[in-house]
Amino acid sequence: MNIKRSIVLRVRIAFVAVALLAGAIFYKIVHLQFVEGEKWEAKSESINFQYRQVSATRGNIYAADGSLLATSLPFYRVVMDPIVAKEEVYRAGIDSLAFLLSSYYRDRSADTYKRMITEARTTGKRYLILNRKQIGYQDMQKMSQWPIFRNGRMGGGIIFEKVEKRYRPFNNLASRTVGFLNEDKYGVGIEYSFNEYLEGKNGRALFQRIAGGSWKPVFDAEDVKPDDGYDIFTTLDVNIQDVAESALLRQLINKDAEFGCVIVMEVETGHIKAIANLQKNKSSYGYGENYNFAIGDQGLTEPGSTFKLISIMALLEEGKIGLNDIVDTGDGTFRFYDRTMRDVKQGGYGKITVQEAFEKSSNVAISKLVDQHFGHSPSRFMAYVEKVGLDQPLGFQLRGEGAPYFKKPGEKYWYGTTLPWMSIGYESKLTPLHTLTLYNAVANNGKMVKPMIVQAIAKGNAIEKKFQTEVVKKSIASDKTIKALQQLLEGVVNNGTAKNIFSGDYKIAGKTGTAQKLIDGRYTQRYYTSFAGYFPADKPKYSAIVVIDSPKGFNAYGGDVSAPVFKEIADKIYAQDLKLNKKTAVPTYLAQGINEFPFIQAGKVDELQMICNKFGISNHYNGQGDNWVKSVPQVKSIQWKSNPTENPTVPDVSGLPLRDALYVLENKGLRVVYQGKGRVKNQSISPGTPVQQNYVINLVLG
Amino acid sequence: MMASFKQWIDRNLKGDPIIWGIVILLAIISILVVYSATGSLAYKKTGGNTEKYLLDHSMMVFMGLIVMWVAHKIPYKYYGLIGKFLLLISIPLLIFTYAFGSTVNDANRWLTIPGINKAFQPSDIAKLALIATLASLLAKKQKNIGDFKKAFLPMIVVIGLITMLIGFANMSTALLLFSTCLLLMFIGRVPAKFIMAVILVGLVFLSASVFLGQRGGTFFSRIEKFVATDEIPFQAEQSFIAISTGGIAGKGPGKSEQRNTLPHPYSDFIYAIIIEEYGLIGGATVLFLYLALLYRGMRIVASSTKPFGGLLSAGLSFALVLQAMVNMAVAVGLGPITGLPLPLLSMGGTSLVFTGFSVGIILSVSRGDHSDSMEGSGEENKPRKAFQTV
Repeated sequence: MNIKRSIVLRVRIAFVAVALLAGAIFYKIVHLQFVEGEKWEAKSESINFQYRQVSATRGNIYAADGSLLATSLPFYRVVMDPIVAKEEVYRAGIDSLAFLLSSYYRDRSADTYKRMITEARTTGKRYLILNRKQIGYQDMQKMSQWPIFRNGRMGGGIIFEKVEKRYRPFNNLASRTVGFLNEDKYGVGIEYSFNEYLEGKNGRALFQRIAGGSWKPVFDAEDVKPDDGYDIFTTLDVNIQDVAESALLRQLINKDAEFGCVIVMEVETGHIKAIANLQKNKSSYGYGENYNFAIGDQGLTEPGSTFKLISIMALLEEGKIGLNDIVDTGDGTFRFYDRTMRDVKQGGYGKITVQEAFEKSSNVAISKLVDQHFGHSPSRFMAYVEKVGLDQPLGFQLRGEGAPYFKKPGEKYWYGTTLPWMSIGYESKLTPLHTLTLYNAVANNGKMVKPMIVQAIAKGNAIEKKFQTEVVKKSIASDKTIKALQQLLEGVVNNGTAKNIFSGDYKIAGKTGTAQKLIDGRYTQRYYTSFAGYFPADKPKYSAIVVIDSPKGFNAYGGDVSAPVFKEIADKIYAQDLKLNKKTAVPTYLAQGINEFPFIQAGKVDELQMICNKFGISNHYNGQGDNWVKSVPQVKSIQWKSNPTENPTVPDVSGLPLRDALYVLENKGLRVVYQGKGRVKNQSISPGTPVQQNYVINLVLG
Repeated sequence: MMASFKQWIDRNLKGDPIIWGIVILLAIISILVVYSATGSLAYKKTGGNTEKYLLDHSMMVFMGLIVMWVAHKIPYKYYGLIGKFLLLISIPLLIFTYAFGSTVNDANRWLTIPGINKAFQPSDIAKLALIATLASLLAKKQKNIGDFKKAFLPMIVVIGLITMLIGFANMSTALLLFSTCLLLMFIGRVPAKFIMAVILVGLVFLSASVFLGQRGGTFFSRIEKFVATDEIPFQAEQSFIAISTGGIAGKGPGKSEQRNTLPHPYSDFIYAIIIEEYGLIGGATVLFLYLALLYRGMRIVASSTKPFGGLLSAGLSFALVLQAMVNMAVAVGLGPITGLPLPLLSMGGTSLVFTGFSVGIILSVSRGDHSDSMEGSGEENKPRKAFQTV
């Protein structure tokens, strides 16, 4: 045969073979679609595989001491497909199921539940939410044993939908500050402000639907693992928060006030230790955390007399006045243009010093002084407000911070009366947090730090972000002015409007504030009372502000309403915080001459050296080989003096802990009897006395 | 306008216009389906930027077409030589890749070209080179094709060596290439008794690669899974669901649901996605396009004047279409899962360029003018005589 024809023939044979294969493929497609079609379609519905979202676990929120403020726990929504259960199962179980549901939820009768389920069953409703209340894991386990439900999803139609829910171990403690996040990703507080860290990143994984309607993950290399959220470490102190909330609540109830808030801050660091916000519940009795008045827009109000601190600061800084200058407050009224400034005291204070004016919170004195010295150039006054940053938002870590409002000289609404009234805390708006920041700066010797509530963001042991204290202004005023302001604030408590909270144990410094509330453009007989200050006044550790809005009753001034809350909080913190409490804080272990480092009296040289080296305490030892030493404190170090125990005499065990003393003495063949706790103070047989076997030696520890 | 376009086509796209048409049609289908099928891959790897794969893939398709155009410009007589040269290069490349190449699914198959950062499979080169070399050998030995020592032995040594090297890392490709070579030998008139012997020799070599190579375990487990019919592997099951839910007209472009669960919907199982989205009609069309491509490749054999051209064209056409058939057969459940991509359709990066190259060679043979010019030169008349002797 011709080569070409042979080749062409062979190619055609091969082609036919391939065409047959193509035919087979086509046949198989048709077979899959039309013969096996139903089987595969059913399979696609029943054994469904799906890439499903794997939710990342939301991070926790911690208090400063590591207690949990918020964490995520699984909860379940109880849903039923009432059609699934077979008639006999349904009929046998429905009555007891309805009874169990009713006695579990306690909101509807068994009959109502029965009717609800039966109705859904007859109308063909396949997704019946039995109750909106979500249940915990333990209850879910129990519930799945109930009649009908125990037949599972395919037999009983029970569906437990897992919902991850935020759980707050301390319930409502600082609830508005810890905050929340709703399903639209909107919310308040830390939960909202730090959501991008808390939420993590959801992953995706291949799941197979298994009997019972649950999804079983199938191992697949193409999974995207969820990235769990970061934990947020706050500066909140659970104890102080608790104290602040309960003290505030008591006073609110007492005065039947509208709302109140408390902020406690650590002076040096600006760490917020507590934020309490309580508001009268609209519909029911009692108070709840409904809004963060301490920080948010609604907390913006005319600050009242606490603002006088700025006015005095401006006057002192300008060098216009001294604390002992005399001001004439006359009969307690003073006319600025068409408005009359009034003092609280009927008939006025007469001639008083500047210090007295501040302590008594004389509106006339302060406004007169400010108008006198700044009236011609109000912008110079405003420059002081700007200098301390009161006119700008703080840039606080929580979102929704209220922006302060100040009129500006030269603006349409700047009248001749604006400056005098501004000087006593009207015509402007500040949040309590802002006012506190200013008072904290005075307590901190003029250094203004930015308040902070989150100190670190971390996952496991890895710290993602650490927040340091931010200094807004190294010094808001001259040292002299700051000293004067501190003296004034102490005076308020010692002799002035807050005399009622004077304490003999430690000193409080602060200022009361009472502002008439401006409602619909008119000043009313409702007050906004506050007290801002710090303690202990001589070495400030904490600053705080207490605000109580619209107290009812006879005494509606800051000194009577807010200051006692401040005092209660300060007392409790003072009692808790040993560092503040000097009398008990002085350690008895401190020996003569040294109070810089822990004093070690005696022990084994190698151990003591190791301990001291670890702590960076310089120590010297000249002896050799001697195991036991006594310490001789030097100016900045410790000298070890050997304390030989090898001799056949009674060794000197004074200063040793009991364990060591027992070891040393019993090795000598002595029998030890002891009283007390701590290190050896006295021994009944003097050192150097020859040892007699089985002699009893008495030790006094202390 | 149309006239000038046609003129441009006539001037620049030489060779069988039907092959050009089929390839361009397949390229368009490829871009459409790959775009749809890479949805879940894009979601996972790029955070939802699905255009990334669309652009990457379109780029490679375009590159493939360029290479095809360049290849069809080169007179096919040079491909015998080029084939031998590439074959010599591919041997060290295969060994190097086996030892140091990057790993995808536990097999070293890819080698990254430094500089442009594109990975390619040396087995793609080896495949092309082996077929060209085999076609050339077959053409030269037509006179004494029955001679075992002179004609048959050199061929089988080359085939055995190359397929064995490929088989170390990629058993499916090696097996398919080996079968294609057998088919080409059959077409090239090698006596049946030799081919039977080849199968025996091949089995020896293959089993050697299986036991020495990386993928032996996978290879056998796949065969085992296919034979044990009661256990349908996950991929196959998902593929069947895709095919059966596609129906006659399909769910529509971009409407695939199975792409989310079917592994490698853009390569190994792209045919299932085509049927799911374009239905039985789409599936049959693709099947038909491959058959048509093979048919046109076969026609070149009949029209070519020299055995080398015909055998080269036939070899490359069969290699391409056989792989396509095997891929589609796997998708519909006619064979064990191989992991072979669907040539011209799958997203396969540089593989598309090599496929374009081989179609370019087929087109080069299909241009009558190259062989005419050779006749004009007068020096290559001997093979023609040889063609007519027996």
